[in-house]
Amino acid sequence: MNAPAGLDLASIPERIQSEVQRAIQRSIKGVEYFSTSGPSLGSTPKDVLHTRGTMNLYHYRPMSDEIYRVPVLIVMATTNRGYILDLVPGQSFIEFLLKRGYDVYMLDWSAPRPEEKSLRMEDYVLDFIPDCVRRVQADSGEQDVSVIGYCFGGVLSLLYGAIHKDGPMKNLICFTTPIDFREMKLFSNFSDRRYFDVDHLVDSVGNVPPEMILSSFEMLRPASRTVSQIQLWENIWNDEFVKSYRLFDRWATDTLPLAGEYFRTITKDLMWDNKLFNDTMSVGGRAAKLEDIKVPFLHAVAEHDHIVPYEAAKHLVAKIGSEDKEEVMLKGGHVSLVAGANAVKRLWPKLDSWLGKRST
Amino acid sequence: MTDKTNDPVAMWQKMVGEMEKGFNSFANQAMSSPEFSQVVNRAGGVAAGAQKQLGELMEKYLVTMNLPSREQVTSLAERLQSIEAQIGEMKSMLSQMAANAGISQGFDGTPRPPRTKRPPSENGGQT
Repeated sequence: MNAPAGLDLASIPERIQSEVQRAIQRSIKGVEYFSTSGPSLGSTPKDVLHTRGTMNLYHYRPMSDEIYRVPVLIVMATTNRGYILDLVPGQSFIEFLLKRGYDVYMLDWSAPRPEEKSLRMEDYVLDFIPDCVRRVQADSGEQDVSVIGYCFGGVLSLLYGAIHKDGPMKNLICFTTPIDFREMKLFSNFSDRRYFDVDHLVDSVGNVPPEMILSSFEMLRPASRTVSQIQLWENIWNDEFVKSYRLFDRWATDTLPLAGEYFRTITKDLMWDNKLFNDTMSVGGRAAKLEDIKVPFLHAVAEHDHIVPYEAAKHLVAKIGSEDKEEVMLKGGHVSLVAGANAVKRLWPKLDSWLGKRST
Repeated sequence: MTDKTNDPVAMWQKMVGEMEKGFNSFANQAMSSPEFSQVVNRAGGVAAGAQKQLGELMEKYLVTMNLPSREQVTSLAERLQSIEAQIGEMKSMLSQMAANAGISQGFDGTPRPPRTKRPPSENGGQT
């Protein structure tokens, strides 16, 4: 009997031996996996400058002998924790910025408490962000501040920039930021106004539970969680794979609840009426038009982003009023754009070369 | 070396990958229908109502058992948070006072680096 084309019979014993060794390793490492807590995340040294309810403002300790004049404030998405940008040494966006000479601050969010269910979009855009910007100014002694917003943190930064058009924002960078919410097809269908009673939900539960947020993200790729667990088992002998899996899995499942009133506004103004895209958005009675953003602007989008599809983000640069504006599309997904091995090679150097010359 | 086309492990991995794509694509199509939205939201509405009733029931139970109510625990947490915030404010004021006195230093007391960095292109390629 002939071997099938391409199959080297001589390699079979070697292959069997390798698979047996991996099976043994899987059993040993599997026990290790369940008995350890995984790497410590978000460990870049930082000081807590201010906390108020759901809002936390951090200042990361500089790692360079000389820093750029303009400090950077990162505004994190309200659904997730900021440590995605500070995973572990060597895979930390924050550490990268610090080593490249930036003075870095982060507006990160804790889970809103039940009493914070009444927080509105106004609280985020007209209070939390301006408060943090003022504190960054006071702490750094500089008037100019560059803002980086990730995902929905980008939407909040856009609203802040559009309303506070006279400054002090010096540069604005958005990562994977949606503006055309009709194009977030599945989210749009989940929140179809004919069937989704947002008032009943918010009035019943107060803050929108994290399980609901997580489920809606996971429903975008319903098979992926099971497949990733199969891949984990297959690769559990591989320490690097397991480390990376743990980093991202822990973050992805560490979803935050959303303040009820804030969620109500997101649903009605953005998901239903698409007001940001239609230039009819206002926050606390103040118009927020993207054309009013005149500062240098960079938008980084991911080619395979399943959470914010390119269709939902592609009009952002065209709508911004700045003359100095750029969109950069990089390989990767919603998370791998900003964190992990690919981000180290792609987004981070691009951001550094763009922001460095605008930070003096 | 074994050809990947005949490697059972590689074939298994490829099959899992294809199944994932296929199932995700099928599910996404199914979830795009208005009927899906209607069913999911009806179920979600019932669950939200049940959660509200359960919450009210739990509160009554805690009162009966003479356990601290959520309000009491929350008020303690708020007091703690207010103390933390005041400490933060004091640290911030101290830092500001140090800055006004010409001492540029962080919260940990170490001096801050000068804000004189130029981008590499202006430094002849140095970082």
